[in-house]
Amino acid sequence: MSRIIAFTTRNIKEMLRDPLSYIFCLGFPIVMLLVMTLVNSSIPPEANMTVFRIDNLCGGIAMFGLTFVMLFTALSVSKDRTCAFLVRMYATPMTSSDFSLGYLLPMLIISVVQMFITFTASFVISLMTGVSLSIPGILLSIVTLIPAAVFFTGIGLLFGTLFSDKAAPGLCSVVISLGSFLGCVFFDADSTGGIMLTVCKCLPFYYCTKAARSAAALDLSAENLLIPLLIVCVSAAVITALAIVVFNSRMKADLA
Amino acid sequence: MKAIETRKLTKKYKDKTAVNGIDLEVEEGELFALLGVNGAGKTTTVRMLTCLSEPTDGEGYVKGHSIKNEKSAVKRIVGISPQDTAVAGNLTVRENLEFMAKVYGFTGNRVKGRADEISEVFGLGEVENSRAKTLSGGWKRKLSIAMAIIGEPELLFLDEPTLGLDVLARRELWKSISGLKGKMTIVLTTHYMEEAEELADHIAIMINGNIEAYGTLHEIEEAAGKQGLENAFVEIAERSMGK
Ligand SMILES: Nc1ncnc2c1ncn2[C@@H]1O[C@H](COP(=O)(O)OP(=O)(O)OP(=O)(O)O)[C@@H](O)[C@H]1O
Ligand SMILES: [Mg+2]
Repeated sequence: MSRIIAFTTRNIKEMLRDPLSYIFCLGFPIVMLLVMTLVNSSIPPEANMTVFRIDNLCGGIAMFGLTFVMLFTALSVSKDRTCAFLVRMYATPMTSSDFSLGYLLPMLIISVVQMFITFTASFVISLMTGVSLSIPGILLSIVTLIPAAVFFTGIGLLFGTLFSDKAAPGLCSVVISLGSFLGCVFFDADSTGGIMLTVCKCLPFYYCTKAARSAAALDLSAENLLIPLLIVCVSAAVITALAIVVFNSRMKADLA
Repeated sequence: MKAIETRKLTKKYKDKTAVNGIDLEVEEGELFALLGVNGAGKTTTVRMLTCLSEPTDGEGYVKGHSIKNEKSAVKRIVGISPQDTAVAGNLTVRENLEFMAKVYGFTGNRVKGRADEISEVFGLGEVENSRAKTLSGGWKRKLSIAMAIIGEPELLFLDEPTLGLDVLARRELWKSISGLKGKMTIVLTTHYMEEAEELADHIAIMINGNIEAYGTLHEIEEAAGKQGLENAFVEIAERSMGK
């Protein structure tokens, strides 16, 4: 356990001292919130389009922010792998699960911090725009997004393990785009329906946003909160388990 | 008990035998130099002895522990400073040391205490608060070695510790390494003749994956019939080519 904590601390420090992490992990969600709120203010009320209204927007942007944490997870793992640092650590008493957890844990902590920042900014915007956004809803939404955070850091660990620090960012940006699009961050597939909705429903992103939005609205129904949440939890468990297994087998191969 | 003993230790890659069934013995507490040109198989040997690479054949024992079957016991007693300097770049020198101390199981005040001790040994005090990635090559190498001994290893592996350093930094590092002699067994790989001459109790000359000569400097000179390690090395290399 102390080794995991030591490695987690190291990873958090490495990240906090990289200016890019502030821009992407913390700055970006806030900028997106502001831009989309501006967009929202120029949509005429008779258009009846509420996806950019802060109470709908916050859950989507929070989920979108997590995709950047995924990118950072992938980058830090693949960077460690390409430089000799990880090899040196292999020669210490660190075990493969110390490594996996030591990569996942700090990113989960950063995810939660990021969500608090996103939702705090959202709350301020909601006060300014006179849209109601309740604090219990916000807290519940953050809790709801924790499995999503596990899901995305899991993908990050998986990509960082499998791909080089050149290839991983490219692949992550594919997931980022898919996540924002099929996660319905910027449009409402439920009201669009059709083939689009069907496609969205095939991937976990849609359920991440749906659960987060329902939680923010304190809609505790099975259909809108519990079932999407369950799907996200299962996806998170599967991806994380897969990432850990792949990391273990990669480590074995490195030591062959 | 010997610090290291290998029996027909072998590493084959697809079409290349990197280490060809070597028998090595390293005495407790000595500084042992593995001398060889690029591609001789030095790093591969060190990797096998530190459980970073699985032998294709043969066996090795580190303080009596098998490198094949007792990996965690071996990892607990060895420290390695890899050929490519590996430090956590965004952490300060101090943080690197404390991080490693924790990885090796130090807790509470002992972490700081151990980092202080090691920092003292290598004179790292003046760069303590610098980020590791901003250090010069010489300091980086010192830090890397410091991180290798923070876990109080019984056996220290230094893979080309002075590679790429200028002459002053090299001398400086030799002093630090000499200071460690007697406190632990040290295996050092190098292709610098002076380095082996200066530091080693015993030298093994590795050529194309084979140990072609072994002994004290004097014994090697004698066997080659040449004065000076460089002349002896060239003689031995030529003989092994002739074979
Ligand atoms: N992973 C690998 N796959 C294939 N061949 C390898 C691998 N690692 C090393 N070799 C080969 O094994 C031989 C010995 O390499 P090794 O790195 O042990 O040499 P070295 O003595 O450390 O040389 P240097 O002074 O360049 O560090 C070389 O020919 C190298 O190309
Ligand atoms: Mg080498």
